[in-house]
Amino acid sequence: MTAMLSRPRRRGVRATLLVLPAVIPVAIVVIGGIGTTVVQSLGLMPLVGTPALSVKTFEGTDDLLSSALLSLGIAVVSTAIAAVVGFFTAVLIISGNWGGRIVGALSAAAVTVPHLVGAASVGLLLSDSGVLARIFGIPPESWPALVAGPTWFAVIAEYAWKESAFIALIIVGTLATRITSYDETAAVLGAHRGARLRFVVLPLAAPSLLVASTIAFAYTLGSYEVAWLLGKTYPEPLSVMALRLFNSASLTARPEAAAVAVITLLLTAAVVVLAMLGLRRMRAWQ
Amino acid sequence: MTVTTTSVDLDTARSNQQQRRMPGDHGRPLTQSRGLARALRILSTALIALWFALPFLPLVLWSFADQWMHPAAFPMETGTDGLTAAIANGGGRAFLHSLALSLVVAAIATPLGAMAARALSRGQVRFGKAITVLLFSPVMLPPFAAVLGLNVLLLRAWVPPVVGVVLVLVAVAIPYTTFSMRAAYAAYDDGFDEAARTLGASSRLTLWRIHLPLIAPALARSAFLAFLVGWSDYLITLVVGGGHLVTLPLIIASSASGVGNESSVAVLSLSAVIPPLILLGLIARSRNLDPGRQR
Repeated sequence: MTAMLSRPRRRGVRATLLVLPAVIPVAIVVIGGIGTTVVQSLGLMPLVGTPALSVKTFEGTDDLLSSALLSLGIAVVSTAIAAVVGFFTAVLIISGNWGGRIVGALSAAAVTVPHLVGAASVGLLLSDSGVLARIFGIPPESWPALVAGPTWFAVIAEYAWKESAFIALIIVGTLATRITSYDETAAVLGAHRGARLRFVVLPLAAPSLLVASTIAFAYTLGSYEVAWLLGKTYPEPLSVMALRLFNSASLTARPEAAAVAVITLLLTAAVVVLAMLGLRRMRAWQ
Repeated sequence: MTVTTTSVDLDTARSNQQQRRMPGDHGRPLTQSRGLARALRILSTALIALWFALPFLPLVLWSFADQWMHPAAFPMETGTDGLTAAIANGGGRAFLHSLALSLVVAAIATPLGAMAARALSRGQVRFGKAITVLLFSPVMLPPFAAVLGLNVLLLRAWVPPVVGVVLVLVAVAIPYTTFSMRAAYAAYDDGFDEAARTLGASSRLTLWRIHLPLIAPALARSAFLAFLVGWSDYLITLVVGGGHLVTLPLIIASSASGVGNESSVAVLSLSAVIPPLILLGLIARSRNLDPGRQR
């Protein structure tokens, strides 16, 4: 009797012991790191002086609004491009002919490239004396300011390039076999190419497209090195601003850096919650 | 008592599978495009291939360019000046540091992720949903937001910088390993383990001879993802490492933010691109040998 009673509990203890080694480092980094950042942003952990609760770092930080809008703008535009390109890439890969195989290999290669390396090569490609300008024979003075220019073109291009490969990979990974059979069924029933794309492939791919785009958006919003290397110095995205304040000599800048980080966190959380609501609606509809 | 497994001849199995054409297989005539649609498909394939390939072009061109003045469309003199400059910048040491860091991160994050995925996939974990959300959260969080706070925390706890870098990177890699292992365990048949146990194998023997060989391809994929997390990281190594650990991305960043060292940047970048590609090729090969994968 006791053996029967204790068995599920022992199994539960064993499961907890299996999960714990993964939970501990993640909890230290996520809860510890974010908690300390929030405490710092509220002025409770100053480098000098007495701790005092205040929200003045959020008001006192200059240009916070323009930086937040800039970060959001870059993330929205690059994620939108990545989602469209990623979806069509996935459709090509799933089709399984030789062209799809080439695109699949190239996009898999792009996924493995570190963002910093992507930024370095996009810089070499798009700058006013870059490879494209040389190949087309355009002198630097008439080449548009793509790198460090007012349009943030190079930054957006790098994010769109890397994340489109990521989105394509996720869609292919989750749906490759299912899509093919449904697509064939629709074709047998006489559906045209456009109709199949619109009513079969897109709805089937939509949930993983949404999840992958959300991950890409959150990444872009929180990423530092690409905007730092290829962007303009002013106005600056939230991540660049936070790191500049963090590294600055002024001792009061640390809480301000933390405040910028908290704003980024809140923006990311809002987007993730919206995406989860969207995903739930999508599931209910299917 | 010993347990032996008879090997299945994979080559014959695969060639049989290729001869059979099942409904739902790729490349059936009905969904194949013809005429104008075919031309459009080829054009869009070419455009997308160009989109993914274009950023690799400057790396290849600049890596071997000793002299390339502006108006020239292609390098004027080729050679190994870029490589020499990259090594002079400390590229060799940084490469080894990057390799060691990524391997350590993969070696720690893969078993942790596999264990967590095993427990979560069986649904015996208390607060399983909350733990799933926690384990996935590093993917969504802006790394700099966590790093700003962690830097203070780790300094006050006297954690050595290199250990701190490994800890944070393992936490960032765990979502990838846990969720790729979870997908593998969702398709995993416990019957193999149970059959081995019924036949008298000890639990340790079952783990080594049955369980691990069956999940080995998934473990390799997870380890690759964790390796990529360590290999690609710039910010965490920079801030938490505080200059104690100089990896390849740090050298690339300092070279790329300067002017006039294009060929050195290209060589360093190319050396950061090639190792993951080699691993990707190995993974793609092991996937074909995966006996659990049936299509």
